[in-house]
Amino acid sequence: MLNLRDKGAQLWEDWNRPKRVAFALIMIFGVFLLPYAGDFSFTSILNTPIASYQAILVYPVGMYILMALGLNIVVGKSGLLDLGYVAFFAIGAYTAAILGTKTTLNIWEILPMGMGFAMLAGVLLGIPTLRLRGDYLAIVTLGFGEIVRIAVLNTNSIGGPNGIPGVPNPPSILGQSFDLANPAHFFWIVVVMILFVIWMVRRLSIRRPGRAWEAIRQDEDVAILMGVPTLRYKIWSFSIGAAVGGAAGVIFASQQMLVAPQTFTFNVSVLILSCVVFGGMGNIWGVVLGATILSYFPERIRFISSARQLVFGLALIITMNLRPDGLLPRKKREHLSLEEREAAKAAKAALKQAKKLNSGASK
Amino acid sequence: MSTERVLDLQNVTMRFGGVSALNKVDFHVNKGEIAALIGPNGAGKTTVFNVVTGVYRITDGDIKFKGESIVGMKRHQITKLGIARTFQNVRLFGEMTALENVLTASDVHKKSGLVGALFGLPKARHEEKADRERAMEILDFIGIAQHADRLGKNLPYGDQRRLEIARALGTSPELLLLDEPAAGFNPAEKVELAATIRKIRDAGYTVLLIEHDMSLIMGISDRVSVLDFGEKIADDIPSKVQNDPKVIEAYLGVPADAS
Amino acid sequence: MNFSVVQSQFFPLLINGLALGFIYVLISVGYTMVYGVLRLINFANSEIFMLGTFATIIVSRTVFKFDINSQPSHGMKLLIVLLCCLLAAMLTSGVVAVLVELVAYRRLRSRGTNRLGSLISAIGTSIVLSEGVRLLTHSLPESSPRVLSKFYIFTIHGVGLRIDQFLVIISGALFFFAVDRFVKLTRIGKAIRAVSMSEENSRLMGINLNRVISITFLVGGLVTGAAAFLYETVYETTVFNVGFNLGIAAFTAAVLGGIGNLRGAFYGGLTLGLAEEFFSAVLGTQWKEVTVFVVLVLVLLVRPNGLFGEAIQQSRV
Ligand SMILES: Nc1ncnc2c1ncn2[C@@H]1O[C@H](COP(=O)(O)OP(=O)(O)O)[C@@H](O)[C@H]1O
Ligand SMILES: [Mg+2]
Repeated sequence: MLNLRDKGAQLWEDWNRPKRVAFALIMIFGVFLLPYAGDFSFTSILNTPIASYQAILVYPVGMYILMALGLNIVVGKSGLLDLGYVAFFAIGAYTAAILGTKTTLNIWEILPMGMGFAMLAGVLLGIPTLRLRGDYLAIVTLGFGEIVRIAVLNTNSIGGPNGIPGVPNPPSILGQSFDLANPAHFFWIVVVMILFVIWMVRRLSIRRPGRAWEAIRQDEDVAILMGVPTLRYKIWSFSIGAAVGGAAGVIFASQQMLVAPQTFTFNVSVLILSCVVFGGMGNIWGVVLGATILSYFPERIRFISSARQLVFGLALIITMNLRPDGLLPRKKREHLSLEEREAAKAAKAALKQAKKLNSGASK
Repeated sequence: MSTERVLDLQNVTMRFGGVSALNKVDFHVNKGEIAALIGPNGAGKTTVFNVVTGVYRITDGDIKFKGESIVGMKRHQITKLGIARTFQNVRLFGEMTALENVLTASDVHKKSGLVGALFGLPKARHEEKADRERAMEILDFIGIAQHADRLGKNLPYGDQRRLEIARALGTSPELLLLDEPAAGFNPAEKVELAATIRKIRDAGYTVLLIEHDMSLIMGISDRVSVLDFGEKIADDIPSKVQNDPKVIEAYLGVPADAS
Repeated sequence: MNFSVVQSQFFPLLINGLALGFIYVLISVGYTMVYGVLRLINFANSEIFMLGTFATIIVSRTVFKFDINSQPSHGMKLLIVLLCCLLAAMLTSGVVAVLVELVAYRRLRSRGTNRLGSLISAIGTSIVLSEGVRLLTHSLPESSPRVLSKFYIFTIHGVGLRIDQFLVIISGALFFFAVDRFVKLTRIGKAIRAVSMSEENSRLMGINLNRVISITFLVGGLVTGAAAFLYETVYETTVFNVGFNLGIAAFTAAVLGGIGNLRGAFYGGLTLGLAEEFFSAVLGTQWKEVTVFVVLVLVLLVRPNGLFGEAIQQSRV
């Protein structure tokens, strides 16, 4: 069978830097044009039957990709099963709603605060629970997700079950205003955030933090014996993932202009986790693909509205049985990225140099 | 000649439930030597490694590394202090390349953290580059530089064992603990391994070695300690230990003079 | 906060807590047994439970023609109805559990892939089952006709023990005892324990892994079905997502006690049932789930492997 992933990766690796930059720019440009992709007759199949296609691109599609990438750091990179990821999304959303309605801060100012609060929650939850292993962590995070939702539901000063209406839209940037009439602008913001997360993850992956996470995922006992401060790196992973979820929450709240507890159910955590595993844990492009399909597909088949969840469940079973590692599994090849290859080459050259010096000296 | 004790186990007892895996063991390793730890299966050899590296907390006694007690320290801190080990059953990071395996271990002494890695601060970049060069040197030193870019799980068995040693050296240890490094090796490979271990010692590391192959032990070690049922029954230069009736009995299961 | 309620209502809360606790115990057994052999949370267990509750209702309605207006029955007939409902619930849940294993786990397991893949496929199964029932029932709750008239067996100082609660506590204990004996004493039970300890070794010992795993799911399912029947006798209502909160609570109970061993499920289930009743009496029912998790986190902080868990925390090196 033709292996598209390897073919694609091979092509990419054989390119030099200018070619890659050009390709990336073209792709990014294409993505930015996506909101208009439903406008032509031959592409109208993209349009979603109930909600507007442009709005769908922001939520759920863009948001899910963003959150799935955040959760991928936790689950895919470090192997920590987090079943309560929605909590961080909720914390971001409620930060935006509370600060947005009760203070004069605007959404761009609130964004880092929402991320900060989510991160803080991640650290506070992580310190006691990340010592636990595997499924214990899963159940505690699940519980945390439910606690956040129930706490919000039962706190009347923040709207209780009614939530908080009237969350402000972000102020405009470069003359582009953000409101319900312009989902495309929100989409662009989300794309920028997605690109940032992708950059961050790729960067960390080839450095110490990425290696530490990878080691923890593969064999935690050995990792700690090789000197990896596992708890610290697990907390990092957890809180970076949380910050991404928080960021998604802030943007979500200000785009929907309303937050309410029933948005933040366990189902969202499950769905985001499904995006990660379905697409291919640990592989950024797999995760993006998985999140795109799982967020867009139920909207596209909304005409069978009542049965779409059922179809979704079936799709999960079938895909996981056919492709247990997801659609685009993490790399198992021995090819290295350009950065890695260059670094390896440099290291080998340095070795040769040193040997030459040595043999010169011993003569 | 000064004999500084790098590792010193004093009266160490390790109980698992009712089982005493180690019983009042006194045992030390001198700086710069190749010490060997032998004994029948289940004697408690691997347990010695486990208590030294902090995997288990000893029930009683004390463990000193360069004169300081390391009992109760965190595992990664013990590694950082300068003790590194290999595993009886190979436990590589199978989905990392050989180079990455060594790099992961060498990260223990890294100063720059997450922010440095993210924004490519010059200090972090330099560290990364220097570490890669050093990791490459270590692979070359152990003789598997040609495998640098291959995934751990795809290496031939022998090279997986060698990579475990390289990875342990990656942490720049003062004391290197090798748990049956020659298991599954043929005689030629064993000879080669013996040379490697000597080379490691000559490079300034202290080595403590668990091994079953007597000829290998006799060939390279300065001192041999024998464990049996969690008790130390002998501790001497190889030639003496070899002829110790208690040792022969432990290995053969019968008193030496009965044969 | 209302602490006086603990004093004034101590015995009613105790009895409610025990009844709920024994239902948790039985559902936890399903989780913990599967966890023992597969090291996986069986996400579909909540739906296995849900189908058991529906089986109970369907049998009492269709086979015995009970409806909302019928009188509770007595004597021999009562016994037969209850037994048939119990059997129906157990069989339904048991069979569904075995099917879940076949559909969601077996193929993935034979490929020896990552555990999260199995988790997602189990989540998929769980979605399919609950959504299927949701569509069939139009998302409406179904109430269970009253088969057993709810009289008090005895009352002391105004504190009574109701017959249905009595039934739950007694049969809960009996079922638990039966499973415990089964696992400890029978050949197949020993095989299950062997697999829990080491899949590798039990394969070497010639244990037929697939069969043992199927039977584990079957037994877990049967017990979960019994829990579903008991749940219906006490609470008399169900809905397509009834299993969600109960499932989470039961899994929490299993972890609380120390997952993978039956004793843990027992103590964990009872602790959780009691904690829920008492805490919600003091703090208000809306905080019930929160208290459950706070208890869990506190316990895990002190005992990372649960109350009775062995140290699966750290593998041997
Ligand atoms: N984690 C543990 N739990 C219980 N018993 C253990 C554990 N680790 C080792 N033991 C027991 O300690 C004894 C010594 O084991 P070990 O040190 O591995 O022997 P060896 O000398 O072959 O390396 C054995 O009886 C073993 O069963
Ligand atoms: Mg050993």
